[in-house]
Amino acid sequence: MASKRTKWVAPVALASIVGLTACGGGSSDNSAAADTESGPITFSLFSADTNPNWTGMKDEVGQVITEKTGVTLDSEFAIGGDTQKVSLMIASGDYPDLIMPKGDTSKLVEAGALVDLTSLIDQYAPNIKKMFADDMNRLKYSKEDQSIYVIPTYNGVGQTSFDAGGGFELQLEVLKELGYPEIRTLEDYENAIKEYYAKHPTINGQPTIPMTLNADDWKIMIGVTNPAFLATGLPDNGEFYINPETFEVQLHYKRPEEKEYFRWLNKMYNEGLLDKETFTQKDDQYKAKISSGRVLGTINQEWDYSEAENVLKNSSDETMQNRIFGHFPVTLSEEYKDHSFMDVGFPGGYGIALTTNLSEAEQIRAIKFLDWMASDEGQILTQWGIEGKHYNVEDGKRVIPQEVQDRKTKDSAGFAKETGIGQYTTMAPHYGDGVKDSTGNYYTTNFPEQIQAAYTQPEKDALKEYGAETWKDLFPQPEELGTSPWGAAFNMPAPSDPAYTVAFQKQTDIVRKRIPEAILATPDKFDAVYDGMLQELNAPDIVKMEEIFSQQVKDTVELWGTGK
Amino acid sequence: MRTLTPGGTSKNPDTPAADSNAGKRFKKQGFWRTALQQRYLYLMSLPFVIWAFVFSYLPLWGWTMAFQDFKPGRGFFEQEWVGFEHFVQLFQDDRFYLALRNTLAMSVLGLLVGFVIPIIFAMLLNELRGMIFKRFVQTVSYLPHFVSWVVVAGLVTKMLSTQGGAINDLLLGLHLINEPIQFMAKGEWFWYIVTASDVWKEMGWNTIIYLAAITGIDPELYEASRVDGASRYRQMWHITLPGIRTTISVLFIMQIGHLLQIGFEKQFLLGNNLVQEYSQVLELYALQYGLQMGRFSYGTAISIFNSVVSVILLFTVNGIFKRISKESIM
Repeated sequence: MASKRTKWVAPVALASIVGLTACGGGSSDNSAAADTESGPITFSLFSADTNPNWTGMKDEVGQVITEKTGVTLDSEFAIGGDTQKVSLMIASGDYPDLIMPKGDTSKLVEAGALVDLTSLIDQYAPNIKKMFADDMNRLKYSKEDQSIYVIPTYNGVGQTSFDAGGGFELQLEVLKELGYPEIRTLEDYENAIKEYYAKHPTINGQPTIPMTLNADDWKIMIGVTNPAFLATGLPDNGEFYINPETFEVQLHYKRPEEKEYFRWLNKMYNEGLLDKETFTQKDDQYKAKISSGRVLGTINQEWDYSEAENVLKNSSDETMQNRIFGHFPVTLSEEYKDHSFMDVGFPGGYGIALTTNLSEAEQIRAIKFLDWMASDEGQILTQWGIEGKHYNVEDGKRVIPQEVQDRKTKDSAGFAKETGIGQYTTMAPHYGDGVKDSTGNYYTTNFPEQIQAAYTQPEKDALKEYGAETWKDLFPQPEELGTSPWGAAFNMPAPSDPAYTVAFQKQTDIVRKRIPEAILATPDKFDAVYDGMLQELNAPDIVKMEEIFSQQVKDTVELWGTGK
Repeated sequence: MRTLTPGGTSKNPDTPAADSNAGKRFKKQGFWRTALQQRYLYLMSLPFVIWAFVFSYLPLWGWTMAFQDFKPGRGFFEQEWVGFEHFVQLFQDDRFYLALRNTLAMSVLGLLVGFVIPIIFAMLLNELRGMIFKRFVQTVSYLPHFVSWVVVAGLVTKMLSTQGGAINDLLLGLHLINEPIQFMAKGEWFWYIVTASDVWKEMGWNTIIYLAAITGIDPELYEASRVDGASRYRQMWHITLPGIRTTISVLFIMQIGHLLQIGFEKQFLLGNNLVQEYSQVLELYALQYGLQMGRFSYGTAISIFNSVVSVILLFTVNGIFKRISKESIM
């Protein structure tokens, strides 16, 4: 009774804080027991990611899924990185049946909204069990609460990356003009940009932009701060440096070598090589610059600028087609190795969960549905499509007909809407790239031959000059980089303790203000600004936050049994 | 319409205290009698009273959250009560004061500029003779009101850009500066940029209400003053302005009540990491440090602070106006 009261009180009060109104989530049908077991059923689903191509399962793959399982998903997708939505659901107590909460898992667990899946998987989900096998431990929530709440769906099991999308990017035209020099250190990178810029101060009549970065909102991490640890030989652990021996944690900005990285950016800025608008431009302005072909170098992940690059790829002008980027494992100096491809094991991470909105019978039905999606049949359907329509089997090999492949490359959004291929991948656990099924075919449509086939001619030419087949070949390979006992820390659920969350937000505010300030300072003031930031980052509450996270890392290692 | 207040029959505020018992009884009788007489009026207003109660007063129950360590999913009686802890935390947080400063700075600037300019604009428009031209100017000036802040922020950023931004190109062209100014990177300019874009967007819209008030002024006054030989400036000063004074003061008092609630779209969209010390406002602070972290109690505490300050401001200004100009909204 009492809880009913707070259920509606909370959202109304919240609405008064931010002027938002809570929208109720869907609710499940109260169909008869028999229907719940095998008849048609609709599950509501909320995903914290945007999905503009969702058609409500009206697409070809979706129809087959409904036909085979009887399940229809009534999905709602958040807009942008919307973190309010889950909070509002918690406040109102209105949950969807299935939820993909991304980083908000701990809030839901604390509110008691998620179902422990351990025994459900054990009894009803042979395919999921087979898929995770030894990694089942990595699905557990925490050392104290060893329930399984979330089945990871964002990361493919057994995933091998066949291509590099990160590192430091340099325009292929620059490489060509300079005779494909070796790009290994910041110095190489800087020299290449400088040399080309001196020769070509304008491109197509407009001023050349030697280098620009995307620093809009959270992307400042991707474009400005993460490269600091990548260039100094660390794998991605979010905002933290984790000592591999003691598991002590500190903010990665506190490492002296990173100061040198930012000093380099400061130098680039003061020499006029780093775009003056770097820290004030918005996402779209950055992309517009990339698509104009005037940017010689950027530091980013391909998923962030591929949209802009496509404009160049489709240009009719051959030089413009050559103004797309290559990826290089650039580091501060030769002593560091880029750790982008470190083998972190199965990282677990974001996925799908069942909520208490489901009755016990419905829970069983839902887990069976997810299990079907994880079966070979479900996997091939969601990744490849329908046999005879989207792919053919020739001599026991799955092949995508040329005309289907062409549509896929040229009109990817329309293709996804119509066929539904790729729409259901993150809604259920799945195998990653490079894993083969019992017929010897890859589960996914990303494999080396296919990736090489998808390169444009300028990319192929450049790669040939470097004696490589993919950009990944230029990077240090997983075998030489060792493993990580805690996986990837950026994937770890954040502690929900306010002592952690508040200090983390504070840290974020400090870093996002001071780092740009340090880069834009005159060289003689750089040290003062950077050291000032370090001093702010040594505040007792932030040190306490590091300790809390360190404990989390230690607990994870213990839970996974990956310690020494 | 006759007054509906229960005190309607006893207008004398100097009722002696000794008489209070009798007074109450008298009032009570009076109340029921009027209620009976005006039962249809009461009935008609009932839905609105209920509406206001449900949507404006019942939610105040949620304020209890600020005094608890609110955990969603728990019943009301299972919550842990912590007294004023969240308020103590709030008042000890430097970032709160920063947000408060920015909120007040931008809303006071907005209030001053956003008040004076529409009034002047309305008076100038009113003096125009050509009807078509007047309508045209008015329409053009209020159209930006319908443009979303997302678009306005894009326009402003583009205009102030160092690469091909109109303002910088103009200043460079006039040789007023030698190098493009990075407007968006200067924190101390942020307040003014926000105020200026707000004026551009809302000026025309805010003018409408004053124009309407001006139409209500008796034309005979103007005629009389013209006979007396008043110039147009004199007419504006002595007739138009006093004529819309009531409208101005009512709007002003209401604006004061919203001083702390300036929204966050402008600041959120125009701001960037470099200027956050000047762009962080209270609502953004409540969102980031309250709701997004699931700290519902803390968020509620900020909201209570907002409401209390707004009410105090409203009553103070209302009182001052009542005293000096006999005009008030309560």
